[in-house]
Amino acid sequence: MSSWLISLWAAPAALGFALLFNAPPRALWAAAVLAVIGRLLRDVLMHTGIDITLGTLLAALAIGGLAELWARRARLAAPVFAISAAIPMVPGVSMYEAVHALMKLSGLAAGQSGEAYLVDAGSSIVRAAMILLALTIGIAMPSLLMRKR
Amino acid sequence: MDVRLPHPPPDPARIAKLALDAAVLVHQSGGDTARTTATLDRAARALGAGRVDAIVSSLSLGVTVSVDGRQETALRRAPHMGVNFRVLSGVSRAVNALEAGRVGANGFATLLDDLESYPHYYPAWLVAVFVGFACGAFAALFHGDLMAVAVTSVGAALGMRVRQLLAQRHFKPFVFAPAAAFVATLVVGLLKSLTGTPEAALAASVLFLIPGVPLINGAADLLSGSYLNALVRLTMGAVFVVGLALGMSVALRIVA
Repeated sequence: MSSWLISLWAAPAALGFALLFNAPPRALWAAAVLAVIGRLLRDVLMHTGIDITLGTLLAALAIGGLAELWARRARLAAPVFAISAAIPMVPGVSMYEAVHALMKLSGLAAGQSGEAYLVDAGSSIVRAAMILLALTIGIAMPSLLMRKR
Repeated sequence: MDVRLPHPPPDPARIAKLALDAAVLVHQSGGDTARTTATLDRAARALGAGRVDAIVSSLSLGVTVSVDGRQETALRRAPHMGVNFRVLSGVSRAVNALEAGRVGANGFATLLDDLESYPHYYPAWLVAVFVGFACGAFAALFHGDLMAVAVTSVGAALGMRVRQLLAQRHFKPFVFAPAAAFVATLVVGLLKSLTGTPEAALAASVLFLIPGVPLINGAADLLSGSYLNALVRLTMGAVFVVGLALGMSVALRIVA
């Protein structure tokens, strides 16, 4: 699959979580569209050489801002769109790699060196945490900036 | 003979009750602290309060309402519950209608009652199927092949069903998160020979347990200055993630 077409899978990913969060039916397609926009924007940014943390932050800011505008037009609460649309950027692989490396580390026999696993786990945890932080701050920021006005 | 005032002054006890009803709904369906506080404040003022002092902690809400020198303080326990965007949007619309004068106090109370009694659009099995497919889509986003999508969808849907059944029985997150993660990882692990990208399938299979709303609201609370509530939400998220990792690692020891 082409890497640009893969971004379209963000739509069903956001849709499932929108259902889980009991989003109103008329908000579902908006959440799916915003999810694809966010994911594509991050791919484009990373293609130009920006790293995944900053790319996630910028894409999340875009999702949060668009969600706020869309929420006003549709008379729905902004988190309905923003949170569902942010879900497809969750760093699942890094989180999995961290758990996997920690398991390997804890399964070592006494005396064996676990340095490689420790480095793997550490860098995966930091990468996952940074991406999650960028994502949550990016989603939360626009509503705080725009609510005051 | 009783003398009727043309406009009876609003009763602070009723204002406090209605404002708390609205704020509890927001607080328990995924609103952040700023949204809950704003709901309390706006609803009470629209109902005629002169001065409103609201307190929103993670487990309880309180408000003091003053009208013409009369004062009422009310507290309500409100532990965190699931996310429900229908209720969140509904309360937001009800408060807007109240402020615009389209509904009065009685109409507002009816709107809130309606939101409480019909909270779910989608049947639980449908949610489980779509959440399973969403995790399948994650497998594709992690560069998995189509069989990885199929395997992950099955495993995650079953895990989601376990989570729903345990949550219905009021088990705490630290019970249902490991159980659901265990089931999802076990199913995907047993079927992993069908796919060429088992790592993507395994990584995606437990993502239905990611506490997205507590994490995002925790960040929102940090940014808006509600530090204590932010820490509570982030801790809730961390408990979820630790439970998820626990269930997943036990299952991986069996199948990997």
